Amino acid sequence: MTVERPVSETADRRAAAGDSCSRRWIEQLKPDHSRHDEAIARLHDVLRRAAQHELRRRSSLGPRLAGPELDDVAQQCADDALVNILAKLDDFKGLSRFTTWAYKFAIFEVSSKLARHAWQRQPPSREDLEPGEMPDSLTPRPSDQAERREQFVVLKEAIALDLTPRQREVFVAAALNEVPIDVLALELGSNRNAIYKNLFDARRKLRGSLAAAGYPLTDEELSA
Amino acid sequence: MTEIDAIDELLRAHEGDAGCSAGEPIMDQYVEIELRGEDPSERFPGTTIHLRVCSGCRADHDGVLEAARRFGDIGPDPE
Repeated sequence: MTVERPVSETADRRAAAGDSCSRRWIEQLKPDHSRHDEAIARLHDVLRRAAQHELRRRSSLGPRLAGPELDDVAQQCADDALVNILAKLDDFKGLSRFTTWAYKFAIFEVSSKLARHAWQRQPPSREDLEPGEMPDSLTPRPSDQAERREQFVVLKEAIALDLTPRQREVFVAAALNEVPIDVLALELGSNRNAIYKNLFDARRKLRGSLAAAGYPLTDEELSA
Repeated sequence: MTEIDAIDELLRAHEGDAGCSAGEPIMDQYVEIELRGEDPSERFPGTTIHLRVCSGCRADHDGVLEAARRFGDIGPDPE
């Protein structure tokens, strides 16, 4: 895992220098500006509309929020995003338009609040976190060749024996039982990045276990 | 999907994956490159790899892109 370092930021900075809209936001959000209060109110409204739209968009992907509850959460997302934006205003370097930078804070709040909502209503069960039956797509069928069946056995053993307890818990929940990574992070008192790192390491270890047992998944693993 | 594909998909862990925390600070720049019709993978290859795999970050990316497309560049002054 690495830090992304853009090859050149010069073009973006040049673009930002000519972005009068972003400059007006930054100027008017300064505490001593005559339009400070109006700019704060307008930014809050922009953030609330973006959050509301995003909550609706994600609701269409699964049973989530609707009606007054959705509007209330959108308001909370805008409140918290606004606080974060004002606290980080000096971090805005003009590498994107101000509004795109600001939308990011609103969307991150939507993710965070939807995960907490899902976790409070339906936290992962013990079965979600512990190795059990493999998903149907990974359960060998009687028609499978012996080699295939053996591969599944190796994978199941590797999950049980080769992973650390945390890697196993995360892999079983997120990869096998499809617990959303943000919900899992809340359940385990962690954060998205740490859980993803656990999952990434677990996957690499299991690929290595399969390759070591003679079942590489790629040509590179075959030659390694 | 064959059994091999299913296992390969389950165990997808690509070299160069930048992880979640690398993409968060540059998500706005990433989206603006896309909005200009350019390829963000040239500037942010690790995040491009990551977004293929991490559903949480992909949802955030899609949300920022959708907001920027739908609401655009609103100014602070009354319209």
